[in-house]
Amino acid sequence: MLKIVNGQVYDPINGVRGAVKDICITGGKIVAEEGNKPARPGCDGVEIIDASGLIVMPGGIDIHSHIAGPKVNSGRLLCPEDHYDYFTVATPWQRSSTGYTTPGTFLTGYLYARMGYTTVFEAAAPPLKARHVHEELQDTPLLDTGCYTLMGNNYMVMKVLSDPDGSRRQERLRELVAWLLGSSKGYAVKVVNPGGVENWKWGRDKVDLDTPVPPFDVTPRQILLGLAGAVEELRLLHPVHLHANHIGQPGNYRTTLATMGALAGRRLHLTHLQFHAYEATPKGGFRSAAPQVAGYLNEHPEFTCDVGQIIFGPATTMTADAPLQFSLHRLTGNKWGNCDVEMETGSGVVPLVYRPQSLPNAIQWAIGLELFLLVTNPWQIFLTTDHPNGGPFTAYPQVIRLLMDGDYRRAQMERLHPKVKDYTLLAELDREYTLEEIAIITRAGPARALGLKHKGHLGAGADADVAIYRPQQDKEAMFARPVYVIKGGKIVVRDGQVVDSCYGKRFLVSPPAPNRLPEELEEDFAAFYSISLSNYTVEDAYVARPEVIPCA
Amino acid sequence: MRHFTRYSTLAKGLFTPRGRQGKKIVVVDVRLTPTARAADYFLQIKPGTDFEVFNALRALIKGLRLGNVDPGTGTVAGVTLTAWQELAQLMQSCRYGVVFFGIGTTMSRGKEMNIELLLTLIRELNRYTRFYAIPMRGHGNVTGINHVLTWQTGYPFAVNFSRGYPRYNPGEFSVVDMLGRREVDAAFIIATDPGAHLPRAAVEHLQKIPTIVLEPHCNLTTPWAQVVIPVAPAGVGAAGTFYRMDNVPLRVKKLVDFPYPSDEEVLRALKERIANA
Repeated sequence: MLKIVNGQVYDPINGVRGAVKDICITGGKIVAEEGNKPARPGCDGVEIIDASGLIVMPGGIDIHSHIAGPKVNSGRLLCPEDHYDYFTVATPWQRSSTGYTTPGTFLTGYLYARMGYTTVFEAAAPPLKARHVHEELQDTPLLDTGCYTLMGNNYMVMKVLSDPDGSRRQERLRELVAWLLGSSKGYAVKVVNPGGVENWKWGRDKVDLDTPVPPFDVTPRQILLGLAGAVEELRLLHPVHLHANHIGQPGNYRTTLATMGALAGRRLHLTHLQFHAYEATPKGGFRSAAPQVAGYLNEHPEFTCDVGQIIFGPATTMTADAPLQFSLHRLTGNKWGNCDVEMETGSGVVPLVYRPQSLPNAIQWAIGLELFLLVTNPWQIFLTTDHPNGGPFTAYPQVIRLLMDGDYRRAQMERLHPKVKDYTLLAELDREYTLEEIAIITRAGPARALGLKHKGHLGAGADADVAIYRPQQDKEAMFARPVYVIKGGKIVVRDGQVVDSCYGKRFLVSPPAPNRLPEELEEDFAAFYSISLSNYTVEDAYVARPEVIPCA
Repeated sequence: MRHFTRYSTLAKGLFTPRGRQGKKIVVVDVRLTPTARAADYFLQIKPGTDFEVFNALRALIKGLRLGNVDPGTGTVAGVTLTAWQELAQLMQSCRYGVVFFGIGTTMSRGKEMNIELLLTLIRELNRYTRFYAIPMRGHGNVTGINHVLTWQTGYPFAVNFSRGYPRYNPGEFSVVDMLGRREVDAAFIIATDPGAHLPRAAVEHLQKIPTIVLEPHCNLTTPWAQVVIPVAPAGVGAAGTFYRMDNVPLRVKKLVDFPYPSDEEVLRALKERIANA
């Protein structure tokens, strides 16, 4: 048994706002305190952590990060220069590894744990290569993980959607989504630029919500509504996880609003919203549309989002949005690699550097922070950098300081291109996040949006993932170096250093539907996939410690 | 030939329902091979001209004139300019193109410069159409070890751990160079046959140092290796993961019981012994 005593606890799900409270841990779970019996160190096998004067929070949860799988590895492969100066040396608890924006799997686990994060979701797994994603997650220590399955440009999905018979269409789609999730051992449905990736493969331009996409002439709206319907019918815990159309383009906030409008009243998670909140200027540039987008979110509590804050410095953009990556390559002249995953999706990688003196980058930076400050309900907005697209996840403590410390934020704004004030209103925003709000956007909120009832809080029955921080004026220093991090009841980090090694669980879902490909599609699979159906499903051997979360 | 029937030339796809008839196949090689015989066009180039060929194609696709080549009678790499112009036109106007390239390009003079130029060509073609390049990997599951090394260490091959963390420098830390400089004092060999594939100087050094091999068969390394540990081959006597050369991971199954342990079991046992020594 482990007992954390006298800590100041922030546990928003259970309504604890800084009260001094003891946390008891047995068998990897948090348990109710047994009366007021004072724990005696050395007796009853009780280990005591004295957290007097310290802040106790649940372990951090990252709802959207690219940490494992084919495109992450392509990023590592493409950029050895990202690794030379950043490495860990092997210790009894740590394996050696390298990387800054694209760390190796071991280092990824250590770096997250050293910030107090204990659960991370890989944001995009193409089903055909899901085995690769799981192989990497198996090698990522100290974290519970899961992955989202890409479906927004899948041929079979589009073919089913082209069926004119409405009820048959929805039934087939439901079965197909359940099977794709089961085959790839995914946790949620990810949609990236619905229809847009396929359209680009045909050498065509960007798509709007109602552009028919070859070869089946279905529209992004149909794809989105169809998948959202299937997710609801399957009672999946996390709604459609959407990377909307027109990412990064001036004027795209209209598409973002139209997309939300199409799904109004239903659940939806919009990812890296910062990249989707740009208003066009007459000269072809862009200004912040954060007020419009945040305003809409404030009226629609059914939607959640994560920000995708950009961080000044190097980043490696990687996404299933192949057309975006090609245009980024054309725009920056930087090195580039794209991939075509036969029947399912595309992807691409382009490294780049965000600079405070670049006006577009400065505006992007400000828009991210505006979204944080303008969305009033912290349960709707979560901290991400869309790692490593906006910058590495290791910058989360810096973002927390930007949110909690108005003076620091204003000082940082002075570093930016001077014209940024003409295109954003960040300078006028005085809101500062409280510790409770930080605990919501980094832990409690993502847990709730993911439907993980035993994560993101410190009540009885929760997984014993705990981060203990030393309060400091400099919030970046505070969140970068927890005093203790406890994972599944084990102390894994002490004073910012990894002191133990273990591997976490993989979250899976089991939707109420038969886990088989609808019969009509079997012929297509046999004819057009380059592997046979019996070799498609990711075997149980690739998930050593599964935890199936029951559907709602 | 499985590549032909299953994946490239004969296979019927959703958008190539007529199989071979719906495709154009061009082979560029230094000699007439069975693959070249099956192609629509065969361009027989002089050995060692890969760099020149890719450069000429880039120029033609950009619409540039090749300064020192006569537009009527000129040749590039021993093939007429007209043929290259036709090829450039074909590449630019196709709906979806793939270049498969092999060790003729990657291991001839120029090596990584050839590949860089080829990939530049592919990149530029994507302004007009969708074009991809896929390396034809020589040995089984080279792609797999590249992937595992990359996710664990950040680097795909030629990784040196001697300082306690991974360092990468092809040419310095790659196996042929390390052996050639005689910097290696013991070798542990898994799933390959250096006796058959490495240059003579490298093999001679291997023969002088303690060499341990995990290998189910007799090959050109096992006769002189100090220690040979027989293992069950993956896909026959043990399960495992193979990465196809287009990076698709596949499970290989255990089909029969083998008297030997798998590579993994041997490695695990050795690791335990060393850790507890």
